Amino acid sequence: MQIVACYSNKGGVGKTATAVNLAYAFATSGRRTLLCDLDPQGASGFYFRVKPSKKLTEARFFEDVEHFTKSIRGSDYDNLDILPANMSFRDFDVFLSKMKDARSRLKKALKAVKGDYDIVLLDCPPNISILSENIFRAADAVVTPVIPTTLSQRTFEQLLEFFREHDLPMEKIHAFFSMIQGTKTLHGEMIVELTHNYPKRIMAAKIPFASEIERMGVVRAPVLATAPDSPAGKAYQALFDELLERIVP
Amino acid sequence: MNSKSANYYMSVEQLSNLAGSDIQGLVPILDWDENEYSFAILDCFEQSLRKSQRLLFVIDEQVELLTTEGIILSQHARPDTRFVTGFQEGPVKEALTGLSPLRALLTVASGTMRNGKLSLIDNEGKTHTRAGLRELMPISGKAVVLITPQGLRGYDQALDDLTAHIRTSGGTPLTAGNLYRMIDHACVDYVAKPTIEIHQEETAFDTATNLIDSYLSIVRMNEYGIIHDLDTEFLHDYRIALRKIRSILSLFKGVYDIDQAHQLKIRFSALMTPTGPLRDLDVYLLEQESFYSLVPHTMHSGLDAMFSLMRSRRTDEQARLAIHLKIGRYKKEIKALTKLFSKKRKLKPGPNSSRTSYDFACELIWKRYRKICRLAATINVATPDQEIHQLRIECKKLRYPMEFFSAVFPQEPFDSLLKSLKRLQDSLGLFNDCVVQQINLQAFVDDLNDEQHQLEITQSIGSLITILYQRQSAEREKITNAFVRFSSDRMQRSFRTLFQSRKEF
Repeated sequence: MQIVACYSNKGGVGKTATAVNLAYAFATSGRRTLLCDLDPQGASGFYFRVKPSKKLTEARFFEDVEHFTKSIRGSDYDNLDILPANMSFRDFDVFLSKMKDARSRLKKALKAVKGDYDIVLLDCPPNISILSENIFRAADAVVTPVIPTTLSQRTFEQLLEFFREHDLPMEKIHAFFSMIQGTKTLHGEMIVELTHNYPKRIMAAKIPFASEIERMGVVRAPVLATAPDSPAGKAYQALFDELLERIVP
Repeated sequence: MNSKSANYYMSVEQLSNLAGSDIQGLVPILDWDENEYSFAILDCFEQSLRKSQRLLFVIDEQVELLTTEGIILSQHARPDTRFVTGFQEGPVKEALTGLSPLRALLTVASGTMRNGKLSLIDNEGKTHTRAGLRELMPISGKAVVLITPQGLRGYDQALDDLTAHIRTSGGTPLTAGNLYRMIDHACVDYVAKPTIEIHQEETAFDTATNLIDSYLSIVRMNEYGIIHDLDTEFLHDYRIALRKIRSILSLFKGVYDIDQAHQLKIRFSALMTPTGPLRDLDVYLLEQESFYSLVPHTMHSGLDAMFSLMRSRRTDEQARLAIHLKIGRYKKEIKALTKLFSKKRKLKPGPNSSRTSYDFACELIWKRYRKICRLAATINVATPDQEIHQLRIECKKLRYPMEFFSAVFPQEPFDSLLKSLKRLQDSLGLFNDCVVQQINLQAFVDDLNDEQHQLEITQSIGSLITILYQRQSAEREKITNAFVRFSSDRMQRSFRTLFQSRKEF
């Protein structure tokens, strides 16, 4: 089982859209996939029409294997299950900080479903915290969307810094440009600069700013399922293909 | 993830009722694919797959097996595959390992089919459970829908609700019902060894007549398969049924009028005679592989020529027998015999006709067993083949009444005795095969008239005969030991308890 985290310490960068489409792509490729919605806003679950789990509180997620696995819901797509989020997830950090060996709790919790899935995708909340550290330790890959703007560049560099400080393996980070607007000169310049500065960390695939992605909230399904031939659909497919090459041993 | 679950079938009308109203607050949505495929359901003549609660499909060039557990296995299949041994290696072939390699896979139903889906969705459009659908539209017969409920993780209740609704809407579990009969009411359920109910107090006349009547229907059911050469088991079963009828006529002494019984024996023997040559050739051709393994490679070309000659003779014999079964004379005779035993009016009772089946069976079996014990006491390594052959016949004479009357005796001790007898017969059968094959192979050589490869064939058969003789000798010792066991004190006590408890040994 491989664990892939969709993570950004900045909000509104297309992280959930990425998690949803990557999860769909993994499932369609025949891999048994679980998408864990760790973001208390519960957007991943919303896109798959799965109602939030009322029963799963933070203690259960990390301690009670049975409740954790019972909260998993099958999506409408083959090979793809969802662990819906819950508002109580917002207290994960507080909870984890009280626990012994907090940093590897997430990894232990995910072991409960090890035999059921080939891929576990984590849709993470946008902050750097004990939970994020847990995620970085548990994950085999950290997929990070970066909008080509100065602000995003700053948060991306903060992430790299965090990895350095905590002695985390930098190769886990697989960043890509997200919500690109071709008309903006700044976007073009930032792409060139960042790619030049971090050639190994930034993938070639680029996700455009597209109405199909915006519409995911209306149709409540991945772009790859509803509009695979649209520019956004093709871009997500390319991102998946490239990620697969980078992470499959 | 999809969970394993049972398969159901129902009529098209029942499905539209099922999909007609909400199920526990969830809305059913029916969705059919546009594509249609050709399908055929395959099974052996005795419906081994249906009886083992499985379903074998050919869909275009794929073969699919629905297992008892509801799992679908599939693999590519050539369209002309008639036997399970003809499939390429794959999951379906592997799952069908237990199926007789001798029985052809026959088409039970064929036509077009389409796939579909029944989903139960909530008010946000989320599917809670679904069922895979297959609508089978056979060329002849009634259309049916196969339903495979598929649970989604975390929605167990919806799956339970759907399954309950399928059942209340008239869905029958594939493992419990007879799908073939729903498609075609006239679909025949063939059983080569029927369990014929016999009551202890039933007269020997009624028992014999019912048995013959049942075996005659087996004879008739196998005619089509022999005529169309579907597989070799049709002829085999046909002959066994006739042989059983003849043995009933011989063993049930005095149950029918002596003259009538004699005439009937002649008539049934006459039915058997034309089937002999084809069956002999079938036996050799089925044994091909083992013959090849018996002789060295250098002798294989002779066997090639011999089997090629046999195959061509078999084609002729099969055609001859098919014509025989189709002509008026045979049809008239078999119909007359069938009528005689089903109507019973023209059957003349003999002096033993009104004895009870139980008494009659006890006496018959006991007498046969004692005769075997007497003969067994005299055999040793020097006993001539002919006497061993005689013992084999005596064993058959014991086996048939034991099988006929099994229903009137307590099952457990009876089955155990029958099992011992079967073991003994297996050994005798091997011995006899070796003897008969030596004689027949010799006769085959003697009959070769300037055939091509005559020398090669003769050489190969020569080495085969040598090996068969060695096998026969090895089997003889086993037989002597097997007879000692079969006539042991313990075995005699068991036979006596079951069949002779009121009489002295």
